[in-house]
Amino acid sequence: MNGESSMILIGIGTAGAAIARGVSRAFGGGLRLVLADTDAATGEAGGPFTLLGGDRLSGRGAGGDVVAGRLAAEDSVKVLDEHLDGVRLAIIVTALGGGTGGGATLETAKHLSARGVPSVVFATTPFSFEGEDRQRNARGIMSMIEDAANSTFFLPLDKLVDNVDNMQEAMRRAIDTVASGVTLFWRLVERPGYIRLDTERLRHIISGAGRGRFAAVTAQGQGRASEVVDRLIRSEMLATSSGPVRSTLCGILAGDDLLLSEVGKIADGVRGAFAGLTFDLATVNDEATFSGRISVVLMLFESGAKAEDEARPGSVMSGRRRRTKGALSSGPTGRGRFKNAEPTIWNGEDLDIPTFIRKNLNLDF
Amino acid sequence: MSNIYAALEIGTTRTVLAVGEADTGGRLRVTSHAEIPSTGVRKSQILDIPQATQSIRSVLHEIERRQEASGSKITIGNAFLAVSGQHVKADPFSAPVQVENARVSDEAINAVIRESHSMTLPRDRELLDVIEQDYVVDGLGGISSPKGMSGRVLSLNTLQIHADRNRIQNARTAADAAKLEIREPLFATTCAADAVLEDYERRNGVLVIDMGGGSTGYAAYCDGYAAAAGVIGVGGDHVTNDIAHAFQTTNAQAEGMKVREASALVSASTGESSRVRVEPGENTLMDNRTVSRRALDTVVNVRMMELFTVIRETLEDHDLLHRLHAGAVLTGGGARLRNVDVLAAQTLCMNVRIGRPTHVDGLDDVEFPAAFATIAGTLLYAHRNYEERSILDGLFGRFFK
Repeated sequence: MNGESSMILIGIGTAGAAIARGVSRAFGGGLRLVLADTDAATGEAGGPFTLLGGDRLSGRGAGGDVVAGRLAAEDSVKVLDEHLDGVRLAIIVTALGGGTGGGATLETAKHLSARGVPSVVFATTPFSFEGEDRQRNARGIMSMIEDAANSTFFLPLDKLVDNVDNMQEAMRRAIDTVASGVTLFWRLVERPGYIRLDTERLRHIISGAGRGRFAAVTAQGQGRASEVVDRLIRSEMLATSSGPVRSTLCGILAGDDLLLSEVGKIADGVRGAFAGLTFDLATVNDEATFSGRISVVLMLFESGAKAEDEARPGSVMSGRRRRTKGALSSGPTGRGRFKNAEPTIWNGEDLDIPTFIRKNLNLDF
Repeated sequence: MSNIYAALEIGTTRTVLAVGEADTGGRLRVTSHAEIPSTGVRKSQILDIPQATQSIRSVLHEIERRQEASGSKITIGNAFLAVSGQHVKADPFSAPVQVENARVSDEAINAVIRESHSMTLPRDRELLDVIEQDYVVDGLGGISSPKGMSGRVLSLNTLQIHADRNRIQNARTAADAAKLEIREPLFATTCAADAVLEDYERRNGVLVIDMGGGSTGYAAYCDGYAAAAGVIGVGGDHVTNDIAHAFQTTNAQAEGMKVREASALVSASTGESSRVRVEPGENTLMDNRTVSRRALDTVVNVRMMELFTVIRETLEDHDLLHRLHAGAVLTGGGARLRNVDVLAAQTLCMNVRIGRPTHVDGLDDVEFPAAFATIAGTLLYAHRNYEERSILDGLFGRFFK
């Protein structure tokens, strides 16, 4: 490893690449980064770039077609392997609504999963002014990304950016906001303080965590601890889904002036407002960056390994396979009525076994 | 009397027999057809010859009964056999011949055609078809008519379709026991393609997916000829099996849910409260049971999406997917599944239609013509390839015994 980070940041699509570059600029050196897009122009802005589906799309983009984005990623996703040496966790940033953000993110998460690298996806969903087609594109791919990734944070741009009339300005602010949130998250892992959150612990937390909600706020001056709690409680970003919260990860980033009483106030405030089954706290002490202010990153997970009973219908089950309520056993081989027939093997899988069993789908609707 | 042919398909879910006759204009008409549920067949393979024989006897009697009812009395003595199952394989083959005087002549073309039909197969394989593709003259391919071209070496690319000899022999044995001679075994999927495709589709690139009960055949056509073909050992029976496993039903109940209720797409508008009734079976304790419609559709969706993905990846391996500009055509009983064409279009990224056997008449009365594409194509093959042989010579010796 030679001290190299065991996390990698993957920016997918034009907006995803912009977010990833923003994180890279804000975090500084040592961040492992790769950018991937079907549009060759994205690579011209710098950074380690992978063109997806070059032969298929000629670098002209996916044209808003999610399927084209998926196929392009399938063509090229193995190129990412050269960036994955020693990687224990991948963070994907992207924007849904177009072809590449959705399609390529899905295939990338599937590829990472196949390589045993857990992934966390931060994906924005379109502004309402972007139109129903893009909204539909995003909605269509979200559940598939949830199936493929270990944890997903869908960030509705309408809630992320408000009171902005100019479209360009709205997009710029959206990218900046997501980038700064992910940067704080990144610092939390890569610059641990007294209460550590390293890659392995994060890997454990997000494994099978499912859909999450994410918010990051910063305050300074007297009463800053109370202010961050107050702003988190009122955050629209933490009210984006109706699922029950099963676990909470709270990261506090501050300088040497962080008081123990402030840590207690934030932890108690978050626990009280978002009572989850489990609560993880981490701190970062970074005098140079945070002197005089406190930033808090809060992640609420709606399901997880401990909440298997309420996993989403049709979703991939985490951990051990569970039988559908009342389902027949398919026998020790799982081939059921085909057990005496010549098997159909594809990519090492026995296709005679029901697909929903092999894919660990939960059918408890 | 014009030429008359019979075609037999021993499928996993049904056994079909049809009789076709060329009219005075040379167009083929299906004059009679019968089908009954198959027994003793799984994944397109005969596992119980006596049961398969009984199925063949039943369709024979049904055809004869219908003919009698219409005033004509026949006894069917032989039939062309449509073969499917994952034992069917397709391999490319070409054998070069030297061209005399450096100019391709008719003799050279005949010689290369003979050579291209000479591929030696293992003893356990039986040749079903040799599909002639393009000619190659001194390494230059894509030639459809090489006569008169300059060059020293001529070859013909072909696709050799062959199958497990024992599996075909089992079908012959079952048919023989029913007093029906198998005249020639044919690849079911290319037969289906012949029945439903238009020439312009073959030229522009088209994929035929023949969705059977025990297996799914595919044939991709580019530049007018079959460029790749094969069979995947997954069919409608797998969908039924998946449903039965998921909801603890009998196969008959699962089949009923598949046919009446299931969709290949999971609709976002389907509420979680929407339920599907399981038809009462022998166990009356389970009467009035319902299952979630979304769960049912999910089981079907993931199975069918996987099947189309396998086909897509296979075609990508052949570097063909991007050449299928005319889209895909679904045939077979599996194409009846609700929204399967939409899912296929999404997964394969191309236009998809359900195929009707348009080159054969007489199937207007069938509820779902795509399910008869293979049998119609098998008759069509017989009509096109045996038209010039006098069927009257063998009328009472071969066809009608």
